[in-house]
Amino acid sequence: MKIGVFVCHCGSNIAGTVDVAGVAQAAKNFPEVAFATDLLYSCSEPGQEAIVQAVQEHDLDGVVVAACTPRMHEPTFRRAVERAGLNRYMFEMANIREHCSWVGKDKDANTRKASDLVLQAVEKLRFDRPLQAKSFDINKRVLVVGGGVAGIQAALDCADGGLEVVLLEKTSTIGGKMAKLDKTFPTVDCSSCILGPKMVDVSMHPNITLYAYAELESVEGYVGNFEVSVKKKATYVDWDKCTGCGLCMEKCPSKKAYDAFNEGIAPTRAINIPFPQAIPKRAVIDPTYCRQFIKGKCGVCAKVCPTEAIDYEMQDSFVQEKVGAVITATGYDLFDYRKYGEYGGGRYPDVITSMQYERLLNASGPTGGHIQRPSDGREPKKVVFIQCVGSRDKSVDRPYCSGFCCMYTAKQTILTKDHIPDSQSYVFYMDIRAPGKMYDEFTRRAMEEYGAQYIRGRVSQVYPYKDSLIVRGVDTLLGSQVEIEADLVVLAVGAEASRGASELAEKLRISYDAYGFYMESHPKLRPVETNTAGVYLAGACQGSKDIPASVGQGSAAAAKVLALFSKDQLESDPQVALVSQARCVGCGKCVQTCPFGAIQLAEDRAGNPKAEVIETVCQGCGLCTVTCPQSAIQLQHFTDNQILAEVNALCQQAMEESFES
Amino acid sequence: MKYVAELKAKIREKLPELDVVIGWKQGFDPVHASPAFMTTPEEIEQLVVNPLCVQNLATYLPGLKGKKVGIVARECDTRSIGELLQESLIEREELTVFSVKCPGAVDLVKLRQQVGDLGRVRSISFDGPRVTVETPDESSSLDLGELLPGKCRVMAYDEPVLADFRFVDPDQDTVCREEADTDLVALEQMDLDERFAYWRGHLDRCIRCYACRNVCPMCVCQDQCIADTRDPHWLSAETDVRQKWMFQLIHAMHLAGRCTECGECERACPMDIPILTIRRKLNREIHELFGYTSGMDVDAVPPLLTFQPEEKSITEREW
Repeated sequence: MKIGVFVCHCGSNIAGTVDVAGVAQAAKNFPEVAFATDLLYSCSEPGQEAIVQAVQEHDLDGVVVAACTPRMHEPTFRRAVERAGLNRYMFEMANIREHCSWVGKDKDANTRKASDLVLQAVEKLRFDRPLQAKSFDINKRVLVVGGGVAGIQAALDCADGGLEVVLLEKTSTIGGKMAKLDKTFPTVDCSSCILGPKMVDVSMHPNITLYAYAELESVEGYVGNFEVSVKKKATYVDWDKCTGCGLCMEKCPSKKAYDAFNEGIAPTRAINIPFPQAIPKRAVIDPTYCRQFIKGKCGVCAKVCPTEAIDYEMQDSFVQEKVGAVITATGYDLFDYRKYGEYGGGRYPDVITSMQYERLLNASGPTGGHIQRPSDGREPKKVVFIQCVGSRDKSVDRPYCSGFCCMYTAKQTILTKDHIPDSQSYVFYMDIRAPGKMYDEFTRRAMEEYGAQYIRGRVSQVYPYKDSLIVRGVDTLLGSQVEIEADLVVLAVGAEASRGASELAEKLRISYDAYGFYMESHPKLRPVETNTAGVYLAGACQGSKDIPASVGQGSAAAAKVLALFSKDQLESDPQVALVSQARCVGCGKCVQTCPFGAIQLAEDRAGNPKAEVIETVCQGCGLCTVTCPQSAIQLQHFTDNQILAEVNALCQQAMEESFES
Repeated sequence: MKYVAELKAKIREKLPELDVVIGWKQGFDPVHASPAFMTTPEEIEQLVVNPLCVQNLATYLPGLKGKKVGIVARECDTRSIGELLQESLIEREELTVFSVKCPGAVDLVKLRQQVGDLGRVRSISFDGPRVTVETPDESSSLDLGELLPGKCRVMAYDEPVLADFRFVDPDQDTVCREEADTDLVALEQMDLDERFAYWRGHLDRCIRCYACRNVCPMCVCQDQCIADTRDPHWLSAETDVRQKWMFQLIHAMHLAGRCTECGECERACPMDIPILTIRRKLNREIHELFGYTSGMDVDAVPPLLTFQPEEKSITEREW
């Protein structure tokens, strides 16, 4: 075998703390290395060309590039060696940047380590074999999980692109958080007026199948061929018959049901249509409040329903769908405002969340758009807004900035002034973060034109005084304590990962960060992809986002799916498990441990049980290979021999030292 | 044992349906019993059950897969059978278990320490907890409790894991008992260097005869064993402590959560290396992590042979 080694300078990224020429020189003495050199930027066009030329000139059989992480440029170099006429798996990458030059300052030590890493790659390459990808057919349908604005946008773009879309929504209507908002920043245009048409488009689009009040039960399969099971939760109303007339809601005698759409500021009926523009506009019974379910008798809705749609016996049902890609747009949830005891959220009725305030402002809300204090219905004259409630605070495990609270608080001060001209708003803030188009101008307008008084500092305590609330805090710019007697306190709660996000992530086999937000494949260059092929992200499930960013991501995810489906067949990754029939004893341990159901027991010609890998389902995780006692299953490109060669290259010396003492 | 006649009668009755029944018979001298493979009624007559019958016969089962096999098994032996069944290494339908109440066991190393060279023993007899050993010079009466192997002192088995037929003498007591695992505690109290030196010393004595592997009921890799295979070339043939160490530890790791602690490895070891202790340590880790004890429930799924996104007792994150 003739191996070529190329050591990258990466400008000064590597060459700054590693003697790259020295590493290339050392590599010339490694086994079967026929050619070694250093390159200024191996990923650049001249860099790649040099590799191609060297392969052809020196008749190389394999290539080692010592450079950055394979996550970035492994595909680049694989294509380069393929252009040079080699199989793309006759290539190894040694990461001497993230694993070496960036983490150490000692140039001698770094150079030694870089040489070791190159030796490791060379030793592995000596055991590499050419692998061939196979092609398989794909199902050009897409599942969108979550019917908020990001999911709606993704569904509409995919559908307009000619794909069949299955849209899943957990609640009884699509629209998500945006449907609850009164106005949107920085234009102060009506939220439901701009969202409404999109929601109607979803319901009218011939390519979109909408399952509302439904959840993802399970996901099997792989990119191009997912099989999903959708749980349609029991609504106790036959939606094929329900016309959304709302008569049941009017007559329902159970009037104390929790109103999730209105954030619990007023009760609703046990049978409910959340808001007039709901899509689908269908009623749902909440069995925790419905008298028929609690007491076993009532039946008023069944009596008044003109279409006889009520069905108290309804059970959850399941639908199977086959799709080729999944877009998750599960959004976010709001921080629990009760966690800050000092603000009195949950204890004092006039301390509310920003989303509750949004419902008070909204003409379709329970107060008809009149701002009224929850305690006595009085119109507040002094409103205090406290920002960063559950944002930028390590003490509540929310160190991140939610990003949109500064803007919606500015919007709410403007709306407060519009609704109650003789009112005064106060905003306690840490920093104002307004980096979007027209955003800073907007916050300035709130202060300058609408007279909102911004106080830079934190609030230490909110406590009741007579029929109002005293907000005590600090003004760090004046360096003094401030006390404001407020009629209403609005907490600008931050975003956190949607409840149940981690369970869904595990079903979809995608990763999530320490706060439960889904991980994108690359924070800059692959922002809507996940590391699971065929699963994409849109909106706030990936991290807190405002509406424009969510819509942008929805379209981006749709573009990714459309690009994926532009081919009729996909190539499967040949780095999958392979069973040696001679070694397999058919014990089936691999079948039990495989998290993807990619291994089944089959029989050989003599009728003995043998494990068999379904190549397209296998994700190459390697669990089976460590479970198999006989080493009968080997992960291609990561075989025992290949890994052993790497371990030996690195550890021989260390092991000798530890046993010499 | 009084039940032996009854046991022989039952084996005789079942033999026509079976290819072979595995039991014990008197060995080459008074202190050894050896495995008996019974295929004819005459061979059944040789069957014995006494505290010298120390071999765990379950070791033979995976090699006889595909045959109808009967096996005479003590309670602890059935635990190995249970684990083999869990791992689909044998089939329940092919198996007939003649479960006998354990008469106790004699650790020949301990016997040698009491009476000297075992070659000089003329006869050995058992009467309840008393053991009478005759040598040309003297006759000694010993306490069976003192002669028990270590494994009989750390776990007590009253009932078999599975049985088709059960043989118990009237008023027969369970001999094994559950006491504190002092060996393991002593090891755990050593600091890292001390422990490293301890194992280095012991494992350096290993002669790589692989008796521990050959006798282990759970070692089923056959000729693919890491000790023998040259593809991948895991271990070299050097008689170097590193290679011995590597073999012993890989062997132990392959038994984590699978080892049924039958102690055959330690019994078969000609160098008396305390290798069962490593396995017990690993099993205890598995028990603490997963609350699982190998082989005790045929229908249970061993924790290392399944995949779950979340393990109850392993907290990877806090929410």
